[in-house]
Amino acid sequence: MKSNRPTVYLTLCLLWILPSFAFAQTKEWKPIDPAHLALKAPLVEKDADAEALFWEVYVDDASNSGTDFIHYLRVKVFTERGKETQSKIDISYFNGTSIKDIAARTIKPDGTIIELKKDAIFDREVVKFGRFKLKSKSFALPAIEPGSIIEYRWREVYEYETNYVKMDFQRDIPVQLVRYYLKPDPLAMYPMKTITFQGQIPGFVKDKNGYYLTEIKNMPAFREEPNMPPEDQVKMWMLVYYSPDVRKAPAEYWKDEGKRLFELRKADMKINDDIRRATTEAIGDAATPEQKLERIFDYCRTKIKNINDDASGLTAEQLQKLKDNNSPADTLKRGYGTGTDINFLFAAMAGAAGMEARFARIGDRSRKFFDPNFTNLYFMGGYNIAVRFGDQWKFFDPSSTYVPFGMLRWQEEGIPALITDSKEPGLVKTPISSAEKSMKKRQARLKLTEDGSLEGVVRVEYTGHFAVEMKEDNDDDTPEQRETKLRNAIKGRLGGELSDIKIESANDPLKPFVYSYKVRVPGYAERTGKRIFLQPAFFQRNVAAMFPTQNRQNDVYFHFPWMELDDIEIQLPDGYALDNAEAPGSINFGESGHYDASMAITKDMKTLVYKRNFKFQTLMIAKDLYPALKQIFDAVHKADNHAITLKQGAAATTKQ
Amino acid sequence: MLKSLIVHISQTMLLMLALNAIALADEPPAWLKQTVSTSLPTYGKDVHAVVLHDESRKTIEDDGKIKTTSWWAVKILSREGRGYARASESYNTGSSKVKDMRAWLIRPNGQTVSYGKKETMDMALADNDVYNDSRLRVISATDDVEPGCVFGYEIITEEREVFSQFLWFFQQGSPVLMSRLTVSLPPNWRADALTFNHAKIEPQISGNSYTWELRNLQPIEPEPASPRMSKLVAHIAVNVFPPESKTTMLRGFASWKDVSRYASELNDPQSGFNDAMAAKARELTASAKTEFEKIQAIGRHAQNVNYISIQIDVGRGGGYRPHSAVDVFAKNYGDCKDKANLMRAMLKSLGIESYPVIIYSGDPHRVQPEWPSPQQFNHAIIAVKVSDATDAATVIKHPTLGRLLIFDPTDDDTPVGDLPDHEQGSFALVAAGEAGDLVKMPVTPPEANRMERTVEAVLGADGSLKATINERSYGQAAVEERRLFKRAARPQYQKYIERWITQTAPAANVLKAEPADSSQAGQFMLDVEFSSPGYAKTMRDKLLVFKPAIVSRRSSVFLTETKRTHPIVLEAEAYKETVKIKLPDGFEVDELPDAAELNQPFGNYAVTYEVKDGYLIFRRSLVLKPSVIPVEQYTAVRSFFSMILGAEQAPVVLARK
Repeated sequence: MKSNRPTVYLTLCLLWILPSFAFAQTKEWKPIDPAHLALKAPLVEKDADAEALFWEVYVDDASNSGTDFIHYLRVKVFTERGKETQSKIDISYFNGTSIKDIAARTIKPDGTIIELKKDAIFDREVVKFGRFKLKSKSFALPAIEPGSIIEYRWREVYEYETNYVKMDFQRDIPVQLVRYYLKPDPLAMYPMKTITFQGQIPGFVKDKNGYYLTEIKNMPAFREEPNMPPEDQVKMWMLVYYSPDVRKAPAEYWKDEGKRLFELRKADMKINDDIRRATTEAIGDAATPEQKLERIFDYCRTKIKNINDDASGLTAEQLQKLKDNNSPADTLKRGYGTGTDINFLFAAMAGAAGMEARFARIGDRSRKFFDPNFTNLYFMGGYNIAVRFGDQWKFFDPSSTYVPFGMLRWQEEGIPALITDSKEPGLVKTPISSAEKSMKKRQARLKLTEDGSLEGVVRVEYTGHFAVEMKEDNDDDTPEQRETKLRNAIKGRLGGELSDIKIESANDPLKPFVYSYKVRVPGYAERTGKRIFLQPAFFQRNVAAMFPTQNRQNDVYFHFPWMELDDIEIQLPDGYALDNAEAPGSINFGESGHYDASMAITKDMKTLVYKRNFKFQTLMIAKDLYPALKQIFDAVHKADNHAITLKQGAAATTKQ
Repeated sequence: MLKSLIVHISQTMLLMLALNAIALADEPPAWLKQTVSTSLPTYGKDVHAVVLHDESRKTIEDDGKIKTTSWWAVKILSREGRGYARASESYNTGSSKVKDMRAWLIRPNGQTVSYGKKETMDMALADNDVYNDSRLRVISATDDVEPGCVFGYEIITEEREVFSQFLWFFQQGSPVLMSRLTVSLPPNWRADALTFNHAKIEPQISGNSYTWELRNLQPIEPEPASPRMSKLVAHIAVNVFPPESKTTMLRGFASWKDVSRYASELNDPQSGFNDAMAAKARELTASAKTEFEKIQAIGRHAQNVNYISIQIDVGRGGGYRPHSAVDVFAKNYGDCKDKANLMRAMLKSLGIESYPVIIYSGDPHRVQPEWPSPQQFNHAIIAVKVSDATDAATVIKHPTLGRLLIFDPTDDDTPVGDLPDHEQGSFALVAAGEAGDLVKMPVTPPEANRMERTVEAVLGADGSLKATINERSYGQAAVEERRLFKRAARPQYQKYIERWITQTAPAANVLKAEPADSSQAGQFMLDVEFSSPGYAKTMRDKLLVFKPAIVSRRSSVFLTETKRTHPIVLEAEAYKETVKIKLPDGFEVDELPDAAELNQPFGNYAVTYEVKDGYLIFRRSLVLKPSVIPVEQYTAVRSFFSMILGAEQAPVVLARK
């Protein structure tokens, strides 16, 4: 975890012979508290099968050979399930890292101690490929049973310099006490810093032998839930890093960084005659600045091959042979580039078209939500291009091949981007694309037969973020694979028979993702002696409720606002008419969106017309509001499952 | 005719010469280049690759060392077939070596790529074991291939195996143009082979070399509920025999008694006990009143031993030898054979005799009785000698050993007196030295593995439903439920129940979910209470429509395709449900589905409806027998399950009076 360490040979030699306090920690067990041995139930979470009594990590960055991590974990096992999950330990490590001084033991409920024998520790080479090696030290705790305490410790030695190390406070089991001891590198050019997310730790206090200690109690287990925010946004963790002191207000810091980064990369947007010519050609007859930029945008994502894209069609061997681009002119000439190369070419071409373009650094909200108060570029790994329109900056990312003009990847929408500039840099929040830009538009023209079978033609169109997801999922597949995937998805939901499947624009950056098929679903409608019950919401048939569980541990997080528009016509069987039919109606979610489902019958009383319009645009819902959210989605689910009755020989009655 | 024969012979000779040649460093060998021009039959669109050449030559040396050279070539027909461009070879550190492994890719334009040491990945074969010396070498060209490419490899291995028996599968599922195994023996040795899933394949014998070959094998497509591939693809089991005067490290098996002797040699010395074990066995059985209760107590202890797999010396029979029972007792962990062996030792300390049983876990139809070989098995259980006083469904009568209670201590969800369903009916070897033999494992009747469910519900005039479910599962049906309950942490189990209920009862609120496991009685109980605000669909307040099958059965067979190639494999299932629904005041039953009864040799299903005193009483029951049904009867099987599905989807209509 070292950064820019100056070379001081004399001091290093002295350190070499000093015994390490942390090293001594790997040689001793702490005394067992009889209360822990007698413990019958977990303290942190009542249903836990096992609970860590303590979890200690010594991080020694003053070691002369790299960074040492000394881990010590003591776990109380309460149940058979706890016995099964905790008894086998695998400590994985790569080249450049070594695992030393492993010790483990089981303390049975009667206090008997069974030590792990050295020959019961196995060093396994899990994978070896060229110089890369993933190894694992594995062992099983002996004589473990419910009521036992198990403990194990090991030393992990990084033989190379590291910075930005992530340290967790939560595990898959609850922990009564987490302790981190840090010993910074005294020779580091910058001071060691820590920042904690999703929780507060007491400040580090000076401990023995150059260590600083922090601890936290009663950490619950970390568990995943569907539709939850990213793990790094939910789990409590700490980032340890070396960095110069920032004695500036965040706004000032970001401004200075914006200037510094601009100077660093401005040559990467350099315009030459080739770029001017290509720009003129790309723009063609476009009139407005926005139209011109869109042409350039489309040029960059269709004429330049993105070699970072898994669907580039390039083999590993071909990729290895490609030369690096050193300028946008190289990218243009060679017709290929990394994602960053493509974005810089776009900026250069926008500049050649007379527009003011800057590159912007940006975070990724699928990993962590950006907080400007953390004055560090660590969470801003992405590159976008900002182009000025009047007094506004608009953001573009032609390296994301399928993201339409005017949108960013959802991971980069709605978060601050750092616009680099020599004069006016700063953080500007990227816009979130409206629900109307990410739509599922579905159309079905169907015929219901007397035996309850439904057959007809279906067309589905995805736009915006939905289209990006579908294209990313399909672009690397063959047409047969795409068809199989789609067939399996539809048959998994509806059963029945599918034919004439067509998938359009699976890897076309410019068009929506569209598929169509013919379908026949025997027994779609339920038949009784004199009635047929029909669920008109064909696209929601057999779709499970989105939130079936009653309790929620985490906030609910949707990636982007979206809309669903369904247009369904169902020709009714001869001799049957609607019987007491009513539409499921509307549900208003306030600012979050709405649901409308309407039904009508054509004048000849032969065709049912069903339209459904669903919109949802709130991205984050606090877990306290989960019951209300569940109620909304349950109501939508109920409305989607609404059925109408057809009766043989009945006079048609409908109500909307 | 004569001309074509000459051409054929010369092509074969050329190929043989090519196979013997050492490939130049970067140039594909001649045999592989020749495969490129092979003309292919026409295949269906689901065939993504065709194996052009699959050959292995085993040369057995006088001291029993085996050198194997393999040649393999595949043509990729579509991008889905890219995964076939992969060479892999397993080996055991200590007993075998991959001496050489090289692969080549020939693109449709003739361009070639070669793969050697630098592109070879070496990995652990069993990643979950604490240690296992079985490893895998892999060369993958899947990122480099495109349709039309030919990928091929040559692998040379050397091994010091313990068995003089080999299996050779002529295909894995994809079509194969040529598959060949040659076994070359030292003078005076001989070989023979058994053929499975194909007419007998006679070897071509040339000197001391035996060659078995098949050509033009059609693809084998997987289908739901079909037999495993091992029951579909052609394969041979080869036995080699040294001269009687010759002593080698290779061990052959002429009969199941031979296999029994071998297994006993490995197991018996490990099954000793010490004082601590004997004391523990006495302590565990102190309150046991019968022989069966004693076995139950020791069985429970063995089940509670933590399952940890440490496989050392696998290539020399280590995979068949348990760790000593004394060690396993002290560490309280071990794998299947360790658990069976520990149980055996503890029973021995109580004066109860038992035998290890080796079995194939996962497919009761897998073991071929006509091929005596320990290589047919992957699991170890136990047979306990019992007196007439012990009566259980899993007792078998052995011709020489008498009454044996079969038990699997690795499956900690199946108590003594029951056996996992994937082992029932399987052939397994009771390892009892001279007295041991291959025997058929017991089969418990479907009714012993049933689930019974009663549902009491009240339907409101607004469509709301309040229901109480009481489920009682027995035997293997209970095992399924128990496994789910035991493997999930309590909050996860609650979520599972909520998802199950909300599948059929929209927006249901689960008020209570109380599981109770009575493992030793072979029973699992689950009581659930829930309410669902919109269970029945209301039609303008005049009609109420609902399905009386309020919650789904836990398992179903879905046979949607109209055509089928393979037999249908059905697993045992028995299920019975009674649903009593109080109907809302002011409504009367307007329409009821028809009762139905289906009776087939493989199963029975019945559904009935009754309206009585303001209640709707719905009953359904299903019994499936474990069966392998010939494909000719597919229509009847498909129709049976379609009719069940239809019957369970049928709604009841109530109309306002």
